[in-house]
Parts: sequence; structure tokens; C-alpha cells
Amino acid sequence: MRNMINDISSNKRDVIAQKWKNELSTLKNLCISSKITPDMFEQLNEEFLDMMIRYINQNDIEKDQTLHRFFDKVLQLNMPLKFLTQGLQTFRRVILDVLLQEDVKKEKAIDIYQHVDRLIDPLLNEVVEESSLFWEKTVSAQKTALMELSAPVIPVLENITVMPLIGTIDTERAKLIMENLLDGVIKNRSLVVLIDITGVPVVDTMVAHHIIQAADAVRLLGATCILVGIRPEIAQTIISLGIDLSYFPTKSTLLKGIEHALEITNQQLLKK
Amino acid sequence: MRIPILKMHEYLLISIQVELDDQTALQFQEDLLKRIHDTGAKGVVIDLTSVDMIDSFIAKVLGDVVRMSKLMGAQVMLTGIQPAVAITLIDLGISMREVPTALDLEQGLDKLRLELEE
Repeated sequence: MRNMINDISSNKRDVIAQKWKNELSTLKNLCISSKITPDMFEQLNEEFLDMMIRYINQNDIEKDQTLHRFFDKVLQLNMPLKFLTQGLQTFRRVILDVLLQEDVKKEKAIDIYQHVDRLIDPLLNEVVEESSLFWEKTVSAQKTALMELSAPVIPVLENITVMPLIGTIDTERAKLIMENLLDGVIKNRSLVVLIDITGVPVVDTMVAHHIIQAADAVRLLGATCILVGIRPEIAQTIISLGIDLSYFPTKSTLLKGIEHALEITNQQLLKK
Repeated sequence: MRIPILKMHEYLLISIQVELDDQTALQFQEDLLKRIHDTGAKGVVIDLTSVDMIDSFIAKVLGDVVRMSKLMGAQVMLTGIQPAVAITLIDLGISMREVPTALDLEQGLDKLRLELEE
């Protein structure tokens, strides 16, 4: 029976290729929208089919890493996962179609069906697993990058540190901000910390609460917190929400904040 | 368990190096006020560098000590509060806004000197 499949898959390659292409042409638009030229798509398709036929003949995934490499390549190209899964499903269907067009008995047909199933299913699993691993890696890399960019502490002058905040602040990030801020104060022996919220789009009660908490914690360590980068619309929201920020100094720009910080630390910038 | 209180010129220095339980804290409060009365100290520095836990009662006692000392004419400065302790206090809703703080003993003494000179 193996031989039969092998024979058919190599002898009827053209028929299989024709059917396969017809079935997959619906996917073309989907793939081409993601920066892939029609030529490239044809080429990939051809390669895919070649490999599948070779795989059916060899009947072993582990022996040959070409399939793995092909999956990786497709994923690297940002092709939709659908290209692979549908490709495999189509291949199964086409093979069965072609096989069943031969004159075979019912039992044999069932045998063939099961055999093809056993060949294709592990491949499908493989594809899904590989792509999910690929995405997991991407997501975790992005997460680390985001964490690193999330709350940097920058020493600018002696005893003066700046923490610029960009983007929305949620509870998880607020925690990270507070930890980084306190560690930064200890590490740089800061007397004044400026929190710059120029890049924070919305300041609601929750964000303000987090900022107040951070400022209080900084004060407990013995440093002063200055909130800078308060835009007019943020000043309006803060006041209309009834948030009290009068416990610590606030300034409109980072420059004014630094001037104030210099005053607190008894320092002065001199022009030469 | 008693916490030693050191006198240096017109300042009193206290470094808390034991785990503060309620009894120790109250004993400390009494001892400190007595020492302030006896020595006529103008400034007090309480260093918390080696304290890694402060609960709400201890925080209240510390706040009280600061206010009581002020009544007796001594300015108190808390120094060396660890980030973890600060986060716990904030989470408990204790911000101790009226209590002066400094990063370490050195800066605490500098700040005290500045405030007392003014």
C-alpha cells in the first residue's frame, strides 16, 4: 500500500500539483497582502509541494530537517499560519482524491485513508507547535524590551535624577515605576527626583494615585519628588477630578523642574 | 530590650538594629523623650538602615515620637528607610508626610544642621 501511495504521488505529480494550486489560489490574496510578491508565493508553493511529496515518499519527519527549515522560513517571512495549515489539509485532500480515483476496494480505500491521516496529522501538530513557539519567543522578547523602556532612571546632575514616563500607566507598570524609582534614588544617592509626565496621555484618578504613592515613597527614603511636564489639559483634569497634588512641588516643564531642583540642592549652573 | 541612644554635641543618634516589636518601640519612645529632656538636645536622627519591616503600629509610634520630640524642642529626622519598607508603608496607606526624612545618616545630619541654623 505504501508503494501504491509512493507510485501515485510520483507518477501523478502533475495532477496533484494542478489540484493543489487550484485549491490554494484562494489563499493567494491573503498572503500577498503581507509584502510577498506573487512570484515568491508561487515559488514557496512549489517548494512546499516538492517537500510534501518527498516527505510522503520518505515517510519520516525526523530523518530530514528540510520541512522544519521550510516552516521556519515561512514563519520568518510573516506568512499567515493559514498558508501552512491549509496547505497540509489541501495536500491530504488532493492525495486522497487522486488515490481514490484509482480503482480500489473499499477496505483498501479505508487503509489508504488512515495511512495518509497518520502521515499528515503529526505534521499539522508540528506546524502549530512551531508557530506558537515562534510567536511566544517574539512576544517575550517584546515584553522584555517594553519593561526595559518602561521606567528608566536617569541621573542628570549631582543628586538630581530624572524619570521620564511615556505611555499609559496601569497598576503593574506603576509598581515597576515605584521599584525602579526607589532603587534609583538609593543607587544615585539622589536628593531630588523629577518625574516627567509629558508623555503620559491621560492622567485620571488612578494614575494620579500611583504618582502620589511613588512621590510619598520617595519622600520616605529622604529625597524630594518634583512632578514636571504638566500640560494645561492635565492641570485641568487634575483639578476637576479634585486630586490634591499640593504635597509635593509641581512644575510645567522639565527645565523649570531642574531649576527648582538646583535650588533645593544648593547648586547653581554657571555659564563660562 | 532597649535601644541605645548616643549623644553627639547637641544631637542624639539612634541606630535601630533590632526587630522592633511593640514593647521595644514604646520603651524607646519613653527613653528618647527622657534623654531629650536630660540633655536638651536640639536634633535627633533615627537611622532605620537595618530595619526591614515596619508595621502600622511601629509607624504610628515613630510618627508620635517625631511630634512629641518637636513639642519638647527637638527636631527629629528619620534616615535610611529601605525601598521595601517604603513600599510596605505606602501600601498600608501610611505616608508619614509630616515626618522629615533623609537618605542616610550623613545627609540626615546635614539637613538637621541646615534646619536648625535657619
